[in-house]
Amino acid sequence: MSRNARRVFGGVTLVLLAITAVLALWVSPADKEQGDAMRLLYLHVPTAWLAYLAFFVTALASALWLWPRTRSTTWDLLAGASAEVGVLFTGLMLMLGSLWGRPIWGTWWEWDARLTTTAVLFFLYLGYLALRRTADTSEQRGKRCAIAALIAFADVPIVHFSVNWWQTLHQTGTVFNPKLDVQIHGTMAVTLLLSVLSFTMLYVCLTLSRLRLAELEEGREQRELELAIAERIAAEHPEPAVTV
Amino acid sequence: MDHNWGYVAAGYGITTGALLVYGGWLWNRLRRAQQSATDGD
Repeated sequence: MSRNARRVFGGVTLVLLAITAVLALWVSPADKEQGDAMRLLYLHVPTAWLAYLAFFVTALASALWLWPRTRSTTWDLLAGASAEVGVLFTGLMLMLGSLWGRPIWGTWWEWDARLTTTAVLFFLYLGYLALRRTADTSEQRGKRCAIAALIAFADVPIVHFSVNWWQTLHQTGTVFNPKLDVQIHGTMAVTLLLSVLSFTMLYVCLTLSRLRLAELEEGREQRELELAIAERIAAEHPEPAVTV
Repeated sequence: MDHNWGYVAAGYGITTGALLVYGGWLWNRLRRAQQSATDGD
């Protein structure tokens, strides 16, 4: 994506986020049972969706790195960038769920299947980000982290289907439930759709920027390494003095 | 029906704050890395 295209995309994202905020806080009606607390849905659902999407991108990029035909440092860096943004959205999702649960369920936290598996997901990817910092070479980092990302991704379907597999305090999906029976309509549905779209665009902006940063830092580290090797060789094998 | 605007304000406020802090940190680091790459060329 060219610099101008990135700017236009970022600008459209900001405008859509602003429209989403107006719709979510002022235009969309309060829920007849939950009151205004329901407005947290317009942040909680997109952050949950982005946690899934970000970790799916991490897993896909990791698989592409592991496959010899498509192996490229870019896949490893994209996996790391997407995981970092995914951890941010997962943390926000947990915080928003807790803020929503307090007035509706009467508790900040409950060790039910959905909440527990989501907390596990958050800590799995925090561990993944820590693992990225432990490797000495990019090859070592790519291999370790690709395997870890594929193992960690196994928790994503467990999180999603936990509300169907076990009795939980958390409700089943508003849109993606087993019967695909959409339980939101009118202005509320439009607002939810727009919030998912604008947050997905924000995810794209943040991940591409994080990837660009990782590529620049990787290039700088490579240049510093090459310089250090050249200095070491020069120190060990000094050129003989030229006599005339 | 209790409207619970306090929880809504906290949720929207913390989300906006966290995204601004992360976006600002990223933008700043990216700007410095681009500058450093240009100087190194």
